Amino acid sequence: MKTRKGFHLRKICGENIMVAEGIENIDFSQIISMNDSAAYLWKKVEDDHEFTVEDITNFLLEEYDTDEATARRDAERTVEDWKEAGLIVE
Amino acid sequence: MITKPRKVMNLPNEVLMPFMIERLESKPGMTATLPLRGRSMRPFLEDGRDKALFIAAKGAEIRVGDPVLALLSDTRYVMHRIVRIDGENVTLMGDGNLTYEYCTLQDIKAKAIGFFRKGRETLDSVEGRKWRLYSWLWTRLLPIRRYLLFLWHPHIPARWKKEEEK
Repeated sequence: MKTRKGFHLRKICGENIMVAEGIENIDFSQIISMNDSAAYLWKKVEDDHEFTVEDITNFLLEEYDTDEATARRDAERTVEDWKEAGLIVE
Repeated sequence: MITKPRKVMNLPNEVLMPFMIERLESKPGMTATLPLRGRSMRPFLEDGRDKALFIAAKGAEIRVGDPVLALLSDTRYVMHRIVRIDGENVTLMGDGNLTYEYCTLQDIKAKAIGFFRKGRETLDSVEGRKWRLYSWLWTRLLPIRRYLLFLWHPHIPARWKKEEEK
């Protein structure tokens, strides 16, 4: 799977905000916010990046003090959430 | 703990607007789609229903009649129509308003080039017939605007309404 193009994360007023930005248009009708750990993961894969659940699991293990099973579960859930929010294309 | 991405509906204007303006000015030809809030551009534009398509005011031709995004002296951002330009001084009024606002050309940050209304994907361009005809008519009806606005959206005090309608 791949992250959708143009969703760049920005820190605005302490919040991690994402707005769909294309070459010619930036669309403020859908603004998405993420907490810091989700933002950390998104930064790793944003903008048309190919990735797997394993990649996300590894990013979590690199950054957080957690065991592999927990990291994997969190990674799976995060990917599901992103799909639901329309942030990922297959 | 990783939380779900959350859709944000109510980012304050003083945060959103500078960001939008910065993006518009980042590249020539850049446009921004922005959902509209408030009732000040009634009857054409409705709160929460319609969106505007903006370009940066820098480098654009700004004329009387244009709907523009302006930063007023009380740090409020409004998208209203220009009713007069006198050198550097600009007078604005929302189509759904009865009061004038004043700013300078410097305070005009973006210009609306069209609107997406009623959930449609096609743009009602400000160069198009519909907007031009509406603008021509509505600005000439200013002397009776107060009554027209009332007819459109009567503000009936709650105490006059029947109990079951409340």
